[in-house]
Amino acid sequence: MKIIVAIKQVPERDARIRIDAEGTWIDLQDVEFTLNESDAYALEEALQLKEEHGGEVVVLSAGPERVGKTIREALAKGADRAIHVESDDLAAYDALGVARLLAAAVKDEQADLILTGLQSDDLGLGQTGVILAELLGLPHASLILKIEAAEGGVKVLRELEDGWFQHVELPTPAVLTIQSGNSKLRYATLMGIKKAKTKEVRRVTPLELAAEPEASVVVLERVLLPNKQRTTQILGGSPAEAAAALVEKLRFEVRAL
Amino acid sequence: MSELTSGVLVFLEIKNREISRISWEAMAAAHTLAEGHGLSVDVALVSSPGNPIFETIHGKAPRTVYAIDHPLLHEYTADGFAAAYAQLIEQVNPSYVVFPHTYQVRDFAPCLATRFKQVLISDVTGIETHAGAETAPPTFIRQLLQGKLNAHYRHRGTGPCFLSIQAGAFRADAAEAGATTLATFEPRLDAAKIRTKPGEPFRASAQTVDLGSASILVSVGRGIKEEANLPIVQELATALGAELAASRPICDSGWLPMERQVGSSGQTVAPKVYLAIGISGAIQHLVGMKGSQCIVAINKDENAPIFEVADYGIVGDLFDVVPALTAAVLKAKG
Amino acid sequence: MVPVDVIPSRLLCMSLAGAGVLSEPGHFSWLEKLLLLLLIVLSGTLFWKRFGVVVGKILGARRDAGFRLFPIGKRVWDFFWEVLCQAKVIRERPLPGLAHAFVFWSFLAFALVTLNHVAVGFGIGFLDAAGAFGRVYFWIAGLFALACAVSIAGLFVRRFVVRPVWLARPALPGHEVSYESGIIAGLIFVLMATYLAAFFVGEASMAARLLWWSHTLALLVFLPLVPHTKHLHLILSPVTIFLSRGGFSEIPALDGDEDFGLVTGKDLTQLVALQAFSCVECGRCTEHCPAANTGKSLNPKEIVLGVRSYLNEFGPTAEELLLGKYNAQESAFQCTTCGACEFQCPVGIEHLPIIVGLRRGAVNTGAWEDSHGTKLFLAMERNSNALGLSAMEREKFVQKAELPIFDGTQEYCLWLGCMGGYDPKGREIIRSFVEVMQYLGTSYGVMRKEKCTGDPARRLGNDLVFQELAESNLEAMQQQKVKKIISICPHCVRTIQEDWKAFGAPPEVEHHSEFLARHQARLPQQKTDEKIAYHDPCYLGRYRDVYDEPRAVISAAGTLVEAERNRERSFCCGAGGGLAFLGEETGQRVSHVRAQELVATGATTIGAACPFCNTMFRDALAATGEGAPQLLDIAQIAARSLPSAVTVARIQ
Ligand SMILES: Cc1cc2nc3c(=O)[nH]c(=O)nc-3n(C[C@H](O)[C@H](O)[C@H](O)COP(=O)(O)OP(=O)(O)OC[C@H]3O[C@@H](n4cnc5c(N)ncnc54)[C@H](O)[C@@H]3O)c2cc1C
Ligand code: SF4
Ligand code: SF4
Repeated sequence: MKIIVAIKQVPERDARIRIDAEGTWIDLQDVEFTLNESDAYALEEALQLKEEHGGEVVVLSAGPERVGKTIREALAKGADRAIHVESDDLAAYDALGVARLLAAAVKDEQADLILTGLQSDDLGLGQTGVILAELLGLPHASLILKIEAAEGGVKVLRELEDGWFQHVELPTPAVLTIQSGNSKLRYATLMGIKKAKTKEVRRVTPLELAAEPEASVVVLERVLLPNKQRTTQILGGSPAEAAAALVEKLRFEVRAL
Repeated sequence: MSELTSGVLVFLEIKNREISRISWEAMAAAHTLAEGHGLSVDVALVSSPGNPIFETIHGKAPRTVYAIDHPLLHEYTADGFAAAYAQLIEQVNPSYVVFPHTYQVRDFAPCLATRFKQVLISDVTGIETHAGAETAPPTFIRQLLQGKLNAHYRHRGTGPCFLSIQAGAFRADAAEAGATTLATFEPRLDAAKIRTKPGEPFRASAQTVDLGSASILVSVGRGIKEEANLPIVQELATALGAELAASRPICDSGWLPMERQVGSSGQTVAPKVYLAIGISGAIQHLVGMKGSQCIVAINKDENAPIFEVADYGIVGDLFDVVPALTAAVLKAKG
Repeated sequence: MVPVDVIPSRLLCMSLAGAGVLSEPGHFSWLEKLLLLLLIVLSGTLFWKRFGVVVGKILGARRDAGFRLFPIGKRVWDFFWEVLCQAKVIRERPLPGLAHAFVFWSFLAFALVTLNHVAVGFGIGFLDAAGAFGRVYFWIAGLFALACAVSIAGLFVRRFVVRPVWLARPALPGHEVSYESGIIAGLIFVLMATYLAAFFVGEASMAARLLWWSHTLALLVFLPLVPHTKHLHLILSPVTIFLSRGGFSEIPALDGDEDFGLVTGKDLTQLVALQAFSCVECGRCTEHCPAANTGKSLNPKEIVLGVRSYLNEFGPTAEELLLGKYNAQESAFQCTTCGACEFQCPVGIEHLPIIVGLRRGAVNTGAWEDSHGTKLFLAMERNSNALGLSAMEREKFVQKAELPIFDGTQEYCLWLGCMGGYDPKGREIIRSFVEVMQYLGTSYGVMRKEKCTGDPARRLGNDLVFQELAESNLEAMQQQKVKKIISICPHCVRTIQEDWKAFGAPPEVEHHSEFLARHQARLPQQKTDEKIAYHDPCYLGRYRDVYDEPRAVISAAGTLVEAERNRERSFCCGAGGGLAFLGEETGQRVSHVRAQELVATGATTIGAACPFCNTMFRDALAATGEGAPQLLDIAQIAARSLPSAVTVARIQ
């Protein structure tokens, strides 16, 4: 089975957030980057499939040079080779634009499966995989927890809302977006990192992919820090009053009831 | 833009034989948008037109309610829904297409938008319309970096603008009653073009304790004092529809099984709500539940470290507070 | 032990009177000489047949890349102190240790005697038994022989009658006691007895001849037995001690791109092989091991012997996994790296490089799959701290506690560590220590950003994570021009000072107990008669040799009481080696065993000097129920003496 895993490098979860001079993104100075969480699960799924059925895992990532580090980590965890769509200004592309780049980069790969994470931890659009499927004319399924090989394709476990699940069968090639948390991630090892050094990373530019940014239809105009900070609210009064106040909060602020 | 003034088209969803709450919220968002721009709102729903559910749809007139009806839509597939919705959108030609941001919408809406060379603005939490709306398109607000940043998005160019609305971002009751016209829309669908085969939805068996997937956890610590007191937290958990969890001493004593231990040497959990009852908040416990979206602490010691990480705290004796809370929850749930 | 009055009084009288002269047989026939020669050749061949194999396996192993013979001074000293003086053997088990020392010293005294003995057989004896030197020398040797005979008899009784559990190898059926040791003891006894008896028979008599031959035969049987039994340590352990790595728990740097730690036989180095063959199976390591004592499968003696068995079966170039037939992965990951084993070992075996080496082999290749371990590594990869918490939490604490940021102008960089930065209790220690520094007017600042020192990764054998953390911290320190670090955590101190060295020059670092002891005189004196028991953290005591400083702090505040096991023999709290972050222990919890020992002192307060010990005991003491002693760090104990203004400020 040949599997492509699209991965994204995102700012570390606990990165200190300051807004940049243009006010359109965060200041990336001293921000550390890491592999997007659900992409890590997508990679893990791919590696487990490979371990079970053989084949090849190719990681695909778009972004500036620093993305190389995340790509190497993925190779260290067991991916066989990588495609790096190198671009310093991905921000000029909207989700459709990025998906076009990725589609152009993999269209000749003849992969059986293309996996992506469910959504990115930074922009949280949750669309790239699904758009990619549409651009490549492939069937897709999202929020996938588990993949099994089946006659002529795959059978996947899909998460529905409120604790419901569903199996879906798809013919391959197909695109799947992977939900976090189902499998156990592996840690990067020294041996993996050493092996990764000799693995192929193909670098391509948007220009080579002939996918110049078409005018974005959606633009991120500016970003703001929310004024709400996480603080502890002590609910006072008699036990009954405090309990009533808490229920009120859980219903209308947390929306958990 | 002038020929695109046909309005806002909202796609609703059914859940448990009712229009889902989040659909009403999406409709409320659509109204915000429509009012700012002087547009009309139409709604669409996949269902046969005879479904009594249509009687529950009211809204500001004039309003068309499309019943999208086709046997191939009886079960959800991305291919079927995207094709059917695309045909309706082509027919109605709206300026805005609004969805509730549900798992189902996330599955097909990006692909639908792509067919119109558009990009879905997903998980919108706010809409700002501007004076002189004809020329100044609205601003859509959504969260980035797990809520640590708010972003303003704008749609540019021609073609419909696709939005999905976050649950709870708009108040559902803002939709008002009014007259509606029901229209049936029968899309042309080809079974051969539906490539995925969905199975029956099922619930994960409740046999094994799975703290990881519970959305509410009621967690109990040494403050409970005796095994015989556990029923009071159990009752709260039942009232909330929550799973019961515990700190290590409770599992050490064998009052609850090891699988329910939260913490560094037990499970790591991140539910929507974590209630820590009679738990001091030792670091080994904190690391197991710190990622919860909302933490509630009930403890008689106001200096207990658990309050440092809590969103809501009640300082008091759990033997008074917990039964009161159970009662309040039951009351709220009717 | 054999009472002294068993010594034949006649012998005493005679030698004191100067009557006893060692009798040698007179002339040897050529037949006897030929027989002797044949026997020597036979014995030597049998000896070499095994010894040659052992030497081959040792030399056939990989060279120790980082090994340096120089500076040699410490080696010479260790050799003198541990081998010649038998200091470690005696100190840790005084009575059997002394008995062992007498056997050893007699062997030294007998070197010349034995050489002469054999020479006599060929008619070329060089010591004149009647001459002044010979007479004195043989007497002295006789005294040693006496002591040796008594000692070996005592050791025999201990092994076969008293039967200390540590001498056994319970994992191996049939090894409950070592019968070969009995045979060796018998031979040594015969050697000594035949030597002594020769003082009482006539010169050139038949009896003298018989004694001579008995002695010779015992000797020639003894010789080949040495390499075939654990008595190989007779030859190897002096070499092992002389060639040891030197540092305590010194983890060697990886050697090139193909070295991932101890994965297969190919990774065993000459030092490891030498040490494996040197083990005398005394069980001191296991006797003190917190894991072995609380029902875990780890047994440090068996780890060493496992490597030996591996070498015997597969050899030093085998591809067979080391964690397999003879050593279990589970055991290797139960070690708290407390260092008790390495500290105790009388023959210079360095267990930690072996145990950590096996872990490295498993982790660096991904063979170790443990859900808590993986979670820990991922947390260290992603969040750069072992707790997996957000760095913002640390920042919030730094702001709330109003800790100044280090900017290069202050004297000390106060290292918070994960416990000081994130643990509510660890933060209290930091606050107390800061009060003391403020009181003393010491300038300090904390790093704006701090990553884990990498200690848990280091001890669990994750070189990738450790290297990244060490390098990134070193770089930050250099940028900030940090000269001196002070830390409340012995694990941080050790890792910064010793383990970071592999990647650069770390700043000077000290533990807060050293700082507090040094400034004790300037703090207000408020001694009470409160009984305070001090627990020696492994990483402060055995790893850093700091025993007196924290005791000085405690003694200034109350009455110091000692737990039964203290100082070098202190029993671990169970947290080290990354175990604080892993899943539940099998068997008893180490922390509970130690906490009970501390409670048994009757102290009302327990003084800790490590935030990990602190967190372990806090949990363990709570489980002992009401009335448990209070638990304080030495910084908190010191801060109590400060004028209340500072304390009031702390409470607010
Ligand atoms: C290596 C290691 C691993 C560990 N792993 C875990 C782990 O995975 N999970 C875990 O939970 N712990 C773990 N621990 C134990 C941890 O350190 C704490 O001991 C434990 O979490 C304390 O549990 P607790 O908060 O329930 O009890 P306590 O700390 O005793 O706290 C009880 C709390 O209840 C409050 N209380 C008492 N009575 C009342 C009342 N009537 N009404 C309201 N409040 C009341 C008290 O004020 C107090 O705050 C671990 C410890 C170690 C050393
Ligand atoms: S370091 Fe401590 S825990 Fe590990 S084997 Fe040695 S004595 Fe046992
Ligand atoms: S390793 Fe050292 S302490 Fe342990 S049994 Fe062998 S010789 Fe004794």
